[in-house]
Amino acid sequence: MVSPLVLIAAPLAGAFLLGLVRCPRAALAVTLATLGLAAAAAGWWVWQLGWAGAEAVEVFTAGTPPPFAIALRMGLPEAALTLVITLTGLLSALHMQDNLAETGHRAMAVLLVAVMAYCGIVLTRDLFNLFVFFELAAIATAGLILLSADARALGAGFKYLVVSQVISALLLIGIIFTYHATGTLYLDGIAAAAAKPALAFFLVFIAIAAELKPFPANGWALDVYESSHPAFSALISAAAGAASLYAADKLLTVGGPAWLPAATAIGIVTFVAGNLLALPQGNDRRLLGYSSVAQIGLVLAVAGQRDVLGEHYHFVAFGLLASHAVAKAGLFWLSGMVAERGLAAWAALRARPPLIFAFATFVAMLAGLPPFPGFYAKWELVRVLAAEGRLVLLGLILFGALLEAGYLFRWFGFALKREPSGEGLACAPSKGIPVLAAVLAAWGLAWQWGDASAQANLLLGLPLLFALAFVLLDWLPAWVKNTLAIAGLAAWFALTLGQYDPLRLIFAVIMLAGGAVTLLASYHAHGRRIGFYPSAMLMYAGLAQLILAADTFSFFAAWEILTVGSYFLILRGRHSEPHALSYIVFSLGGAFLILAGFAVAADGAASFAVADLATLAAPVAPWVFLMLAIGFMTKTASIGLHVWLPGAHAEAETDVSPMVSGILLKAGLFGLAVLLLAMGRQKLGGIDLTLAMLWIGAASALLGNLMAIFQEDAKRLLAYSSIGQMGYALFGLAMMNHLGWLMALMFVINHYIYKSMLFLAVGGVAKRTGTRDMYRMGGLINLMPLSFISVLVGIIAMSGVPPLSGFGGRWIFYNALLTAESRLPMILIFFSGPIAFLYLFRLIHTIFLGQLKDEHRRVKEAPFWLMVPQMIYVVLLIAFALVPGVALRQVDGHLGGLLPAGGLSWDGLTITSDFGYWNPVAIMVIVGIIFTTLFLWLVFVNRRAQKVKQFNIVFAAERPFRPETTHFAWNFFAPYRKALGFLVQPVATGFWNGISGGLHAGADFTRRLYTGNAQTYAVHLLVFVVAVHLFMTGM
Amino acid sequence: MDFDWMKIPYALLTLFIVVNYGMLQNALIAKIGARVGRRRGIPIWQNYADLIKNYSIRSSITHGVMYYLGPVFRLSGGVGLLLFVPSLYGSEMFSNLSFAGDLILALYFIFFGTLGMALGAAESGHPYAAIGITRGLQQVSAAELPMALAVFSVALQYQTLSVTEIVAAQQGGFQNWTLFTNPLAVAAAMLSFLGSMMRPPFDVVLAPQEIPIGPPTEYHSSYLALMQTNRAIFPIAKIVIYMNLFFGGATIWPEFFLKVFLIYMVSVLVGVVHPRFRVEQSIRWFLVWAVPIGILSIVLV
Repeated sequence: MVSPLVLIAAPLAGAFLLGLVRCPRAALAVTLATLGLAAAAAGWWVWQLGWAGAEAVEVFTAGTPPPFAIALRMGLPEAALTLVITLTGLLSALHMQDNLAETGHRAMAVLLVAVMAYCGIVLTRDLFNLFVFFELAAIATAGLILLSADARALGAGFKYLVVSQVISALLLIGIIFTYHATGTLYLDGIAAAAAKPALAFFLVFIAIAAELKPFPANGWALDVYESSHPAFSALISAAAGAASLYAADKLLTVGGPAWLPAATAIGIVTFVAGNLLALPQGNDRRLLGYSSVAQIGLVLAVAGQRDVLGEHYHFVAFGLLASHAVAKAGLFWLSGMVAERGLAAWAALRARPPLIFAFATFVAMLAGLPPFPGFYAKWELVRVLAAEGRLVLLGLILFGALLEAGYLFRWFGFALKREPSGEGLACAPSKGIPVLAAVLAAWGLAWQWGDASAQANLLLGLPLLFALAFVLLDWLPAWVKNTLAIAGLAAWFALTLGQYDPLRLIFAVIMLAGGAVTLLASYHAHGRRIGFYPSAMLMYAGLAQLILAADTFSFFAAWEILTVGSYFLILRGRHSEPHALSYIVFSLGGAFLILAGFAVAADGAASFAVADLATLAAPVAPWVFLMLAIGFMTKTASIGLHVWLPGAHAEAETDVSPMVSGILLKAGLFGLAVLLLAMGRQKLGGIDLTLAMLWIGAASALLGNLMAIFQEDAKRLLAYSSIGQMGYALFGLAMMNHLGWLMALMFVINHYIYKSMLFLAVGGVAKRTGTRDMYRMGGLINLMPLSFISVLVGIIAMSGVPPLSGFGGRWIFYNALLTAESRLPMILIFFSGPIAFLYLFRLIHTIFLGQLKDEHRRVKEAPFWLMVPQMIYVVLLIAFALVPGVALRQVDGHLGGLLPAGGLSWDGLTITSDFGYWNPVAIMVIVGIIFTTLFLWLVFVNRRAQKVKQFNIVFAAERPFRPETTHFAWNFFAPYRKALGFLVQPVATGFWNGISGGLHAGADFTRRLYTGNAQTYAVHLLVFVVAVHLFMTGM
Repeated sequence: MDFDWMKIPYALLTLFIVVNYGMLQNALIAKIGARVGRRRGIPIWQNYADLIKNYSIRSSITHGVMYYLGPVFRLSGGVGLLLFVPSLYGSEMFSNLSFAGDLILALYFIFFGTLGMALGAAESGHPYAAIGITRGLQQVSAAELPMALAVFSVALQYQTLSVTEIVAAQQGGFQNWTLFTNPLAVAAAMLSFLGSMMRPPFDVVLAPQEIPIGPPTEYHSSYLALMQTNRAIFPIAKIVIYMNLFFGGATIWPEFFLKVFLIYMVSVLVGVVHPRFRVEQSIRWFLVWAVPIGILSIVLV
């Protein structure tokens, strides 16, 4: 049995012992040993209380019960927190060992005292003792701040001392009055006291709250974070933050429910403001400071919700706190390895891929992404808040979280894409070990929270484990990993084949089998391709789990996993940094809406099946529908929410574009299909929401196509075309009739095939020519014949011209329209069809036809492995054109059970609807015979034709000057711009830029509150105290 | 599948009739146009003479595979379109190959030849070809819209997409023609018709004066012969669709010839008295004048 007093005594003893040691190295050893001992003691308690079934103990220091002596308590929360504190202390000491050794044993003693004080704050049950430990912590902290080499640390330390003395004064006065009123300083005694003095308690509460660095009284803290040694900032952020939060938690237990709203208000304001102010930060440590402030605010807000969280309180609060502590400490330690302070300087991490993995882990952990504790905590929190109707708070939390994800992922993008500066990386083992420990802790906690969660443990999901295994296998050559990945996708598909209904089977075939085919293209990559396979397989893991997800939790988890995976994947493109960022921000925004929708739908139920969405009734149902629909439409890039797509798809790597376009977009459609199947038509304020979706789908189809025709960049053209195509599919689903759905599914299949094929073809051409601008190409047909064939087949299929499969989609579409209830949106769709011809012709003409440029005369066909999947797609397209029944007949039957009226009849080779008929084989045969006959005739009459080059032409009675000036390609559809250019004004882009710019400008303006002047900070503190008091007294 | 092999000779017979009729009609219309302009015009057999001349030109070049296939695509499109739609109502002999698909097939098959031709002409490397194609595509994208709306209105009206059934519904007197039962749809479709006949004010695609004849600019000899054959078939194939949808179809060949000629003449009459639109003007024109009529026809049907 280890006494909890060890946590106090050991550091004290170590600090005294340091006085006797002369050699700095020996002193360091003593320090580390002491902290190790304390950590071991805390760890032992965690084990005893968490696993071995021990009971919480109270330690009476003088052998008598309180109020006559100080009591300490060691329960599971205390054990966990002291473990966090001591471990952070130990690892920080390890990280800054050189500084410590240089500064001498006094600094080490101060560090030990700080750790001891934090532990004391956690353990003590005595109000005055709490004050004492806070004082100790303040003095030790001020000393440690001065350890930094940064000259500004002196000022920061001074400001810290001033503020902490004000806080101490408030605390002390509060304690005096409390003692006067209750006659005890034992916290449980105060709680039990009949009369609780409100003002006295207010002073205590406000002092502790001020310790948590609330907005706006936190300027001093930010200066501390920015200027002190990063290892010490880690300690302040993780250990001191955790200790102060626990002190606040203890006070809230004592104060009772009356104080909870104040805690919530302080917490949420700090959370949102902290994240907002972090947006314009350019200094990594100051940014981390803002983020720390915000995270601690969030936990305080959660502490304020303990009345509704009930038994989930500790799970949620500790999930968030653990995420914050581990990730923030890890990031501060990483910051200690990076030489410069700009965010872009983190590009230096690229020299060490494991550090990038660590960075990704911490960012994902802070952003609350699966499988980390914050994810489970967020889920529970949102579920409870929604059930209790605290929707404003819920909205603010999600908004703050989105802001946080925004700046974290922007930073991550900098690290991955910016040019590393001259100064490298400090990679001493002493600096690497703490980071490694934090990574291990992160994944350990991920496991632990999954295990403790009432939901499934995500780390037990086979697809996710398979994806994570690629992190460990990343040293293998790319082709080995590619083979493994393809085998894995195929095996999972075979394994789960029996579990899909025909509707899901279509999506499963595209996402899993289709994913495997797309991966064939990845064989063209050489070397190890670090980071590609973990990202890609993460996306596929999310997709695989999404189709099988039965309850809302696993659906949402899969959604986030595929979002994160695809973000990493998109980020790999050479110029994709800003586009990947807008992708993740839009996706997470959509995901949060989905989360909120699910939470509102569940109404507090621990588990909620996706199919049970059908049981919802007004007035909740339309709101749930709205939130989920917007969430899913973010993924399908419906117009207005589409601004992320063109850049993300165009700038992705050659073999990534087909994955994120051909496959990933279908996740949104799948979500919409599931949603519409479950919830059907919903009306909100008299508006039929499916009708609204119909209009959105039609507008997406029209404007997506219209924007596509003006692109000079081939991949952007295809990306905009995806917006249009998804608009068609959305339109089909929103029609809510049998044929509309069939058409949407046909689009799902067709779009996967031809868009993957076209992206690969265009990617191959861009690889060979070194440009994606179509007007720089031309006449490549003879040099890249296979790519030409694939583009040709692709555009014929996409345009819907018989005899290829696109026509089937159009035919079903017209039949579906005849039974649709609203006729006006289809006008937009009718218009968008012919516009598609424009960009498709442009795609094939400007690249493959027209004049061959001189610099491309030696261009070769695209790499073999890029061609393999394309040729498979060509065969698939033709096969699907001939016998669409193979794929659609089952689905048609299945849809018959869901939307009975108006199915197709598959009689022999003719497909018949209520209105018309269509025989794909006959069409193919007739067209084939006519074509062949005429071709043979032409060959016969024209057998002596002489082959000449493209440039062998004459016009206006002159020979043209050069091929470059003869190729008509740039600004191809100028008249269209004159006639309809006003439709493609970047209104949506302007709107979102306005929001982003407004947030940044607002943050930049508010940031000026923090003048760096101690007097201003004192005013902030005063304002804070007055504001909280006004809030408490009801204004 | 039990296929009636007699359909093949019957279809070829239709083709033969239409090709000859088309040749003569094209010459006649050229002559009418010339007379309006106080010129004498070509002899009525001129198209035959041109065809023979084109086939017998000895020098012939090719710019590549797509260039070679362009006219084949073009003519296949014309022949296919003609054969996918029944020529005469109530005649098994001249129902052609309409068993393969309905109205939607015909509407989309219109693009088959256009697209193939565009690809072929583009491979010629001639900038005029590409300029002509882009003009044509842009114009047709707007011109198609009122037609699509009108077709949709008609399909809603008769609750079918089968051409034969639509014609059947219009039998029993001219008052049953869609022209009278759904005049808005017909008005929209006929405005669209103007846009697709390559006559003024919508002939900037070929622009015979300033970019010598647009897409076919680099075609000659037997290629041109195929395209010329298509020029005889394709407008008629298109007009047959209009005739069937809006003007009661035809039950005998003389009725067919008369209706086709009169429908064709609509575009000629408009064409001879109008100057030319630029592309953006014609896009606006269709969207402003023709599309609202089409929308009304859908709303009111």
